[in-house]
Amino acid sequence: MIAELLNNLNSDIVMGMAQAAGAIVLCAAVVVLCRRFAVHVERETAISIARGLVQMVFVGMVLAVLLHGNLLVGVLILLAMTFAAAVTASRRARDIDGSLLLSFYAIAAGAGIVIAGMLATGTLTADIAVLVPVGSMIIANAMNACAQSVERFRADVTAHVGQIEAGLALGADPAVTVAPYVQSAVYASLLPRLDMLKSLGLVWIPGVMAGMMVSGASPVYAGIYQFIIVAMILAASGIAGLVVTLLMRTRAFSAAAQLALRPGERHQPPRYGNVQIMPNPS
Amino acid sequence: MSAATVIRSTGFIGDPESAEATWRPSAGLAPQAMALETKHLSRTTAERVLVNDISVQVQPGEVLAVVGPSGAGKSSFLRLLNRLDEPTGGSVRLNGQDYRELAPRELRRRVGMVMQVAYLFAGTVAANVAFGPRQNGERLSSEQIAALLERVGLPGYQVRDVSNLSGGEAQRVSLARTLANAPEALLLDEPTSALDDVSARGIEDLVRNIIRERRMTCVIVTHNTVQAHRIADRTMILKAGKLVAIGPTKEVLRDR
Repeated sequence: MIAELLNNLNSDIVMGMAQAAGAIVLCAAVVVLCRRFAVHVERETAISIARGLVQMVFVGMVLAVLLHGNLLVGVLILLAMTFAAAVTASRRARDIDGSLLLSFYAIAAGAGIVIAGMLATGTLTADIAVLVPVGSMIIANAMNACAQSVERFRADVTAHVGQIEAGLALGADPAVTVAPYVQSAVYASLLPRLDMLKSLGLVWIPGVMAGMMVSGASPVYAGIYQFIIVAMILAASGIAGLVVTLLMRTRAFSAAAQLALRPGERHQPPRYGNVQIMPNPS
Repeated sequence: MSAATVIRSTGFIGDPESAEATWRPSAGLAPQAMALETKHLSRTTAERVLVNDISVQVQPGEVLAVVGPSGAGKSSFLRLLNRLDEPTGGSVRLNGQDYRELAPRELRRRVGMVMQVAYLFAGTVAANVAFGPRQNGERLSSEQIAALLERVGLPGYQVRDVSNLSGGEAQRVSLARTLANAPEALLLDEPTSALDDVSARGIEDLVRNIIRERRMTCVIVTHNTVQAHRIADRTMILKAGKLVAIGPTKEVLRDR
């Protein structure tokens, strides 16, 4: 197996690295352009590029070794991916207790239900070479939906503290006072996936379809299969967004129905009396 | 008068028995008078002490003003009285019962609050007035809503959209919305600070009359000592979260 892996270090990989270098140069040009407008993303971009490249090379090597594994290996890989996705999504809610666990539950619920359904209906085979790439797409989108819901819910709640407390002061159930923000958070997580579904085939032809056609599948079947994948991404995103928002809702209030999710000092510009200090535009 | 003398004074000003009970939109909305008492009430956050060991008692039909400089803990103290924030020490008792024994939602229906900003919900005035009772599974009749709006000086405003109200009108709707729950005590957090003088005096008169009619227990936060003179039977002064004086308003604010 190792010998086979070493054999793969052929001219294709060298060519891939050269193409990656070209992509990096283009990203560097964008960073330089941003710098002209005082947008400083040099360090973050460099770290992101380095991480992305190393991670993808590493994943490629791991998959090359694991491609011949069984369903259990595939499930373990997807679980590890779900955990990594939860770590990333929970960074949007660092100030909320247990945000990692909330994100993990939401992504696992969204991706888990959908992948299990696809396996049960035969839409997805237990072949690790299919399960892991398709599963990772679903997990990644559930992660994005989760992060978008968390971000939107937190932003809406902290921007409407007065309205929420007005409702609480009138004896309303906490869930009633944040109902509009639950709706907007779930909607915000679904919107990009709805746009994705609408523009399917018109604006973009996704990778799965392209890959199937290259490997000789019927273009019509490849198209239908791609539709199924994107529809499942929408379903997984909806479940993840809904679950994380509902879990966040419970964390937004104390046991005595007091609003606990408030704008922290680090989220607010400094105030001096009634004067709010904004960033200096110069 | 020394601060210590003033703190010891808990005399009730006025004769609550003579207050007119002229307004009762329905038997269901008629409140029971209730005494509000804090014992060593405190709230401390990681950064600072907001409320420091405050013990006061407010009788039915009495208006207690809370005054003090900005950041003295006036609003923080008020928010502890309906448990919008959790005390870190001491207790609050309603008619002798610790309020932790009550469900928070029930407590907040019984101890109503009008905030500095009206924070009305999008929709009609009538929907806002009916909001509180609806949370308790009760439905106000159109007559009850009309009576409440008439009492706060907004007759015929039921179908008006709240986005078309002036600041004074919005605050009156906020008051009607709170009264719709038939609270036994009323907390007012600088309810007129965002209003012009005419609107502010109108709200003041309204509040004073309603308190007397319904013999409600009332605590009002204000930075305006003139307003405290006009509306409050007793006044307490807070400084850095501590109670520095309490007593009849005329005595406490004599030199201020």
